[in-house]
Order: sequence, then C-alpha cells, then structure tokens
Amino acid sequence: MLVPENTKCECGHQNAVGTVLCESCGKPLLEELQKADTPLEMRYDGVARRSQKTNPSIIDRVWNFFSSVKIAIYLIIITFLTAMLGTIYPQENSFINNSEPWLYYEQTHGLPGKIYYALGLSRTYESWWFIGLLVMIGTSLVICSLDRVLPLYRALSKQQIRKHHQFLHRQKTVYRGEVEGNAGEWVDQFAAQLKRKGYTIHTDESGAAMLAEKNRFSRWGPYINHIGLILFLLAILARSIPGWQMDTYVTVPDGDTVEIQGTNYYVKSEKFTVDFYNDEELPDSLKGKPRPKNFETKAVLYQCVQDCSDPLKSPQLEEVTRHDIGVNSPLQYKGLKLFQFDFNLTPRLNAVHPVLVDKTTGDVYGPFDLPMKDSALVHKLGPFTLELYANYMEFALDSEGKPTTLSREPNAPAFVFTVKGPGLKPEGEPYMYFPMQKDKVRFSQDSINRALADRIEIRVDGMENVDFSEATTFLNVRMDKALSFLWVGGIISMIGLVMGTYWQHRRIWLRIDEGKLSLGAHSNKNFFGLRAEIAAALKKTGIEVEPKRLDNGGNNA
Amino acid sequence: MGKSRRKIQIVILIAVFIIGGYAIGTTLFAQNDNGQLRPGDKPPAFALADLDGNVFQLSDFEGKPVIVNFWGSFCEPCVREMPEFQRQYLKWQEKGLTVLAINLSEDTLTVQNFVKRFQLDYHILRDIGRKTERSYGLRSYPTTFFIRSDGRLMEAVVGGMSEEDIDKRVERLLEL
Repeated sequence: MLVPENTKCECGHQNAVGTVLCESCGKPLLEELQKADTPLEMRYDGVARRSQKTNPSIIDRVWNFFSSVKIAIYLIIITFLTAMLGTIYPQENSFINNSEPWLYYEQTHGLPGKIYYALGLSRTYESWWFIGLLVMIGTSLVICSLDRVLPLYRALSKQQIRKHHQFLHRQKTVYRGEVEGNAGEWVDQFAAQLKRKGYTIHTDESGAAMLAEKNRFSRWGPYINHIGLILFLLAILARSIPGWQMDTYVTVPDGDTVEIQGTNYYVKSEKFTVDFYNDEELPDSLKGKPRPKNFETKAVLYQCVQDCSDPLKSPQLEEVTRHDIGVNSPLQYKGLKLFQFDFNLTPRLNAVHPVLVDKTTGDVYGPFDLPMKDSALVHKLGPFTLELYANYMEFALDSEGKPTTLSREPNAPAFVFTVKGPGLKPEGEPYMYFPMQKDKVRFSQDSINRALADRIEIRVDGMENVDFSEATTFLNVRMDKALSFLWVGGIISMIGLVMGTYWQHRRIWLRIDEGKLSLGAHSNKNFFGLRAEIAAALKKTGIEVEPKRLDNGGNNA
Repeated sequence: MGKSRRKIQIVILIAVFIIGGYAIGTTLFAQNDNGQLRPGDKPPAFALADLDGNVFQLSDFEGKPVIVNFWGSFCEPCVREMPEFQRQYLKWQEKGLTVLAINLSEDTLTVQNFVKRFQLDYHILRDIGRKTERSYGLRSYPTTFFIRSDGRLMEAVVGGMSEEDIDKRVERLLEL
C-alpha cells in the first residue's frame, strides 16, 4: 500500500512517503482518491505515520509491527481474554497457608482443577506470557503514540491557510455560495463572529482565505492518556522489583517482639484485646455465640539499628512508631502497613517466679525468676542451690520411655534441677518441677521426686508471680511502593481522557475566488455542533442556511 | 532528522528489551510465593553460631557439597536421624562432605543436653527466632537440603530418612 512514486504535490510541496493529503494544500495525493468524490479521511490530517518507509530493515519491521493500531487492538483483546481465564478458579497467591496448591485444585475442582493447575493458570497474572503481553501492550502504546503524535504536531503547527478546492469540497461539512462585495471585508465580518465563539483566526495575505480553529489541545488528550497508561503499566511491572511489594503475616504473642521478615522492622504487641457482644446485644439466632465487637492490638514498631544479623548478639532496636491497630486502622510507617488480621486467645506461659520451701524448717526462699526458655542455669536460694539440669517445653516420655519434649511451645513445661543444700547429698539430688498444676498431677510430680518431695517444695504463690501472654495477634504486613505511581498514572490518564472527550478540535477553512465562497470544516466529533456554529456565523453575515444543509455526508455524528 | 529518528527507535527498543526482559525474567526465575525451594535454586544465605559461639555461613562452604538438616529435640524422626548423619559424615568427610544441622530455635540447655547425648562431630548451628527456618520455607520437620558443590540445591527431602536414603543421595551429591 506504500506508494514510492511521486509524492510531490502540484502546489510544490514535497510530502513524505505514505502521505494521503498534501501536508500543505490538502489535495488528495493518491490517484484513486483524487477521482472519488466521497468525504476525505481526515485521520492524523492525512500525514504519513513516522514509520512508513520504502525499504524497511529489521528494526523498521519490529517498529512497524508495534506501530499498528490493529496489532494493538489484538493484543488488548488477547490480554482481556487471558485475564478472564485467571478468574475461573482462585489464584494461588490468594492462599495464605497452602504449601500444596496442586492438591487444592485437584481436590476442590476435580479434573478441570488439575488441568487448570497443570496449565499454570493458577498463577495467570504472574506468568511469563501474561507479563509478556503487558510488555507488548506497553511497547505498542509508546510506539503507536510516538509515530502519530510527532507528525500530527508538525502538521498542526504549520498549517497552510489556503487549501485546495478538492480538500474544501470533500470535507464532511461544506458550504458553497456567492459572496457579494469585497471578499476581504466579508471574511473579516465572518471572522469576527467566529472569534466570539472562541475561534483563533488566521487569514492569508490576500485576505480572501481563512482558517479558524479552536480547542486544538483536545487532540493531545489521547497521547496524554497513553502517557498515564504507560506509567500505570510500568508501576505494575515495578512490583517485581525486590522490596516494592510485600504481603505477609506475622504472629505476635502479647509482649513479644517479632521480626518482620524481609524488612529491617520488628513489631511488638504490648497487648491484644477483644470485646465480645453480650447476649442482650445479639439477635436470637446469634445468642450464646461469641461475636467479636472490637479487637485491637497495641503495637510498637521498631527499627533495627545495630547487630541486625549478628547471630551472637541480639539486635538493637529503636522505636519508630506506635499505634493501636484496629479493624480498618492499620499501623502505617513509610509505606509499611500492619493490619489486624486474626487472633488466638490461647494463653502462653512465659515465666514463673516460684519460691523454694524448706519443709523441715518451714523457711521460704525466693522468689526467683524462671522463664520457660533460656533460664539461668544456677539459682542460689538461701542455703540451697538449684542447678538446672534439663528443661522440656512439652514434657512427655518417648517410645523408649525417656523424657522428651513434644513441641517447642511451653504447653507442658518441666524443669529438672539438681538440688544441693543442708541435709542433701553433696553431689545433689534431682528434683523435677512442673510449673502448671495440671501437669503436676498428670505426671505425679511428688512420686517422681520421692523422698525429696518431703524435704523441699518449689511452688508459685499467687497469679502475680505468673507471667503469661493472654493472647496472640496475627497481623497482615503490606507494602506497595507502586501504589502512588498507579495513582499518578491513573490521574494523568484520566486528564487525557477528559481532554479528548469533552472538547473537540474544530477547524473551518474558506477561500473566496472571484466572489465564489468555498467553505469546508472539520471536527473530530460532534459535527452537529460544528454545523450549528457555522450556520449561526453565516447568518450574521447575511447568508441564511439550514445547519443540516451543510452536511456533506460521510459518517459524521 | 533521519539519523536522530533511528537513534530514538533504537533507544526505545533497547529500553523495551531491558524493562520487558527484566519483568519476564523475574517471572521465570521467581521462587514460588510460598517460599518453597526447588532443585536448581540457590538456597538462602545464613550466618549462624554453634554452641561454642563460632559463626558459620553457608558461603563458607562454597565449592563443597553441603547437607543442611533442620532438626529439633521435639521431633522424634529428627532425633532418630542424628546418629545416621554422624555415620554418614564420618564415611564421606574425606571426600569433602559438610553437614550443617540447624536447630529449630530451641534454648541453649536443650541443645546442649541433646548434643551431649549423641556425641556429634558435625556442625550444630542454632537458628534464632525461626528466621533461617522461615527463609527456607520449612513446613514440617525434619527437612534436609542437599546442596551441590556449585551452590545449587540438588534435592530437598521432607521427613525422616533411613541411612540408606542418605547414603544414596550423598553419592549423587559427590557425583560418584
């Protein structure tokens, strides 16, 4: 379709290859177009797209591929269709704790689920081909825009005022008639009317040809829209940069400080509280069921300033902010957000402060500090010495009958001490201590300790000597640095859309040759408004014409 | 004008190639969201101390085949595995095999008592606050990672292994 032959117009202007309407006078350049008398296609003002060339190289071919709007539309349709595939079943990244997604798809959805997983559709939006499509759309956006906006800008900034008759008469809005008297005076009179409607007027030196134009800026709308879209796409792609997007969960028991994985932050829960509705507040169907009314985590966010990854030292933390996290009230700090996600009201024993009682004398020694984890190995209590020999978080006997622990949570803690003191063997005697009453009974502490149980006792006096976490809070940690760019891209794109939608670029050309007026006008939309404007202006100069008589056919809504 | 135009074209196409290549590349080489390591992946780095306070890093053993085993005294199959690893370590030590047994964030006394009971010669390292365990995406115990001398994962085995299971894998690891 590219015609390498003569691109020089009869007006003397040398046009680029691929030009449809002469860049200067507007005369159609293609022969078959010259013969026809249908309204002209005014897209991009008939100028050549930048990439149209006679001898395309490989770079040109790649460029031309992405420069095609047809290809762009195909790409968009394919992307929409494949994006739909991703919505058939839940995506893998929506599971919080599922290490075996293949089982989920097969068990929940049967064979289709199995196929779905096997095709990789369970990760549609992170797949290489979907990202590839987005990249291609982005490329197409850039190249399509660039190839059209630059020639269009050039064409619109150096417009010829006196146009070829063929150009004028084959616009979609045309008026031909006689003008009496001085041509220049009539043009001035007509121009004054158009000026009042907001047109900018250009006349040539003879005074008998005119171009009136308004709202040219609306032509840049689509390109501004594309800039916004490109930014939007780049922001989406930028999410794959490490540290730009995060969506994880942390479990924080009351009083604990927990590292937020992948960041330099630590979060402490000073206390988690939950209120439940009482029965009077609930409808009959819900009475007796625990319905949370409000839950809140008193959270403190720390930043590690030193010894952050030294295994021999504990990290040095500095408080950066604190917030009472509630529903819809996350803790926010520099793009990091901590949301309340869930809770668990199972208490956890942290430490006890027991006393040692000498049963023969009745003397009480202590209390001493006995944390469940990493306790001091020696406790001196009056004449007695307790040497910690072993500790178990969840005491049990293994298959060989040896003491063991079933987990690393203090569910049934046990301590084995070697006790030395008055009346005891010099090498010490073993004493087993279960801080929880239920375990004392279950494992019959007194019979394990035998004779020593009659000599001494380790016991906790009152709840004030028990240190435990009442609850555990689960927080959702989110970070999305791309979000602000998405907003900016979206706003720019919307500005472009509004510019191109609510204004129209209207142009009116006319020339008077020996009393014969030829008027052609073009708008990129709303020809009805354009015709009304022209008819009104003509009426003021004494030419009565029905607006719809100006309609020269063509598809002109 | 023609020359600057060609330049712009080339610059834009190169930019597309770099940005697009990066975006597509990260999807191809990304680890799963659930953090599970796959064969061929580079296992996450760590720096952990043993009971004597010597710090070891995974990178200290670059160029050597390494077995990284996560264990806890609360996990019976882990406990059963320990003497097997000890025998395997003695068998293959000369060929350059390293065994790093990472304890699952238990307290010092527990680890000490455990090691005393078994007389283990290989490195017992101590995770703190479940950090390393999490970075390796551990779901159940024991889990053992067989890392080739090029620093890439050969296999991750979840669950207890018999001595024969370990032996077979070490042979593959040493490319015998």
